[in-house]
Amino acid sequence: MNIIEINNVKKDYPLGQTTVHALRGIDLTIQEGDLISIIGPSGSGKTTLLNIIGCIDSATEGSVKIADKEITRMNDKDLTNLRLYKIGFIFQTFNLIPVLDVLENVEFPLLLMKQYTRDQIRKRAEKLIGEVQLKEYIRHKPSELSGGQRQRVAIARALVTNPDIVLADEPTANLDSETGATILELMKEMNEIEKTTFIFSTHDADVLKYAKHVVKLRDGHVVEH
Amino acid sequence: MQLLFKIAWRNILRHKGKSLVIGIILFLGSLIMTLGNGVISGMDKGISENIVNRFTGHVVLVSTNQEQDNVLFSHMGKSVEVIYGYTNIRKILDRQPYIDKYLPTARGMAMALSEDAEPAYTILLGVKFEDYNRMFENNVEIIEGHVLKNDQRGCLITSESRKSLYDYTSSWLVPENTPLIRSNLSPEARSNQDSLILKTNVVIMGFGDDDLAMDIRVPIKGIFKYKRLNKLWEYFNLIDIESFRECFSYVTGADAAVSLPAEKQTLLSMEGANLDNLFDNTVTSVATKAGGYDFQTMKHETRRKNVKVNIDAGAYNMVLVKLEKDIRLNQAVSRLNKELKKQRVDARAITWKKAAGQVADMATIVRGSLFGFVLFIFFVAIIIIMNTLSMAAIERTSEIGMMRAVGATKGFIANMFIAETSLLSLFFGGLGILTGIILIKIVASLNISTTNDILQLLYGGDTFQPQLNLGDIISGILQLVVVTVIAVLYPVKVAKQITPLEAIARD
Repeated sequence: MNIIEINNVKKDYPLGQTTVHALRGIDLTIQEGDLISIIGPSGSGKTTLLNIIGCIDSATEGSVKIADKEITRMNDKDLTNLRLYKIGFIFQTFNLIPVLDVLENVEFPLLLMKQYTRDQIRKRAEKLIGEVQLKEYIRHKPSELSGGQRQRVAIARALVTNPDIVLADEPTANLDSETGATILELMKEMNEIEKTTFIFSTHDADVLKYAKHVVKLRDGHVVEH
Repeated sequence: MQLLFKIAWRNILRHKGKSLVIGIILFLGSLIMTLGNGVISGMDKGISENIVNRFTGHVVLVSTNQEQDNVLFSHMGKSVEVIYGYTNIRKILDRQPYIDKYLPTARGMAMALSEDAEPAYTILLGVKFEDYNRMFENNVEIIEGHVLKNDQRGCLITSESRKSLYDYTSSWLVPENTPLIRSNLSPEARSNQDSLILKTNVVIMGFGDDDLAMDIRVPIKGIFKYKRLNKLWEYFNLIDIESFRECFSYVTGADAAVSLPAEKQTLLSMEGANLDNLFDNTVTSVATKAGGYDFQTMKHETRRKNVKVNIDAGAYNMVLVKLEKDIRLNQAVSRLNKELKKQRVDARAITWKKAAGQVADMATIVRGSLFGFVLFIFFVAIIIIMNTLSMAAIERTSEIGMMRAVGATKGFIANMFIAETSLLSLFFGGLGILTGIILIKIVASLNISTTNDILQLLYGGDTFQPQLNLGDIISGILQLVVVTVIAVLYPVKVAKQITPLEAIARD
């Protein structure tokens, strides 16, 4: 089953007097439970594509369907709900809430959902923290963790809502190779355990071995799929 | 909600510097606001206690012919119109359950005459003194002499008027049967005390729009000052109402008590008829008895007869009315006017503020200025808080954008900022209000006094008595809430506009 269907997506950015064509007509279909790596040189459109799939940026032209829902015509509230219920994010710079500890950061999206009891939220968050092997850091603030540990918290937070899709934009860019490998192993493991679709962008060739499929971008076009 | 306040509280602690800046502004703002409210409230109470309770009453009844409402401080020489039929008005006032008490009076400008000096001008308030004293809470403090009785002729002169009259007439007024108290002499009088001319009476003449006024000699019974707001009222001298009426050629109680023979009553009732018809055209010469006038006989025949008169049957030009506590001023004025109109009497009701003219205006201006100052403080506080919070919102773009990316709505972001500002407001603003309350109590207990006219209005009396009641405190809290809400509106807008994309772009 297709979880993502992208048809002729274009994205233009005005830059002073000129226009930057970040995406020049992307067609892409992604299956549920896949683990896809989007690769390409800097400026190829990887991050833009991820942002559009993640509903945090909009396409200038074309159609984007997530779980059969056309997102290009959705309002802010619907897009926010889609991000909350269907999509998990892992950012390059970890982006945790600095004033909350590990447990509270992981609980955060579940608390926003207002669907679960305090107990259910706690159990689910603790389970995920256990899976990313951070139980002993559960009451630590992000500033008290290493880069790899923070990224693991971000993975746990991205997975805690049991989303259909997890998007990771260069998740290993700020990590040393050993920690990066651990993170990718973890994502692969999560993909297998949770059956979640993982899409991550990278320009690191070593990362490719973790992906089931690779999408190669250049100058805003898909050149290989 | 718990999550919101948890994040808000921890953010306050995390950004201690900014929180402290906002907190100090909120503290100072609410402190000044509380002090301002205390002064305004104390002033209101002071004005109510000192002007309304001791000088004017809440409502003033004037003649329907009276054009200017400012009857107490009207321009020099401008007469206050006479009220006709006070006895009927009294009956109406007696029937109104919301009226506590009232006092008929007459106010006018008069000249104090002297044989060899320029006339001096003074303001007279014609009253039945015992009634006046009862109505206005014994506001008169006798310095020399004694008080007047209701049926006694005479006047009470303020110490300031005595000084002023001395400057014009070179005569120092002392009450009848009272020795000169040298310590009370003005510096000018003291420098001339060896040749000081003492007078125990004053010749006064009403001063008005017509030429009907006459000069009368009035004995001085006492020298006094007003216990409260003396500076504002010190030119108002008190005189018995019958002397006032004579001086201004009003109908006196004694005039009203005269019973005329039937033929004279018939003659008087022929108003508008052709009185010439009563006489034929022949010139009649009447021989008058030359001589035979004896001064003692004339003095005896023209002396003031000591007859029992109904003083209220004479003329007044205003009635000062005090209301019961459970009615609003405008409501009382409206009801009273309706009733006076219905009964077709020659009176209309105005508020004390209108009657007191510029004094009330000055009080309003001072009050307004103070309120304006408090508003200015509000405004400054709002700008500073708004600016600091907006900067904080921009600095937290990554955090906010990330929250939005993982599913936080714009409402959540807005509430997070509101919660942060509310917590700061609650703590620092509350502390400011509490400090303000304590300071008000301390300042009030110091009994700071003044003789300055403007400060007396600001104080609402001779002593500075700021005060805060429960209503003022609630109002202060509401003002703090308004400041907080207004201050947070723009930063919330800034924060709500932050998108996840901006957070990523910033990274």
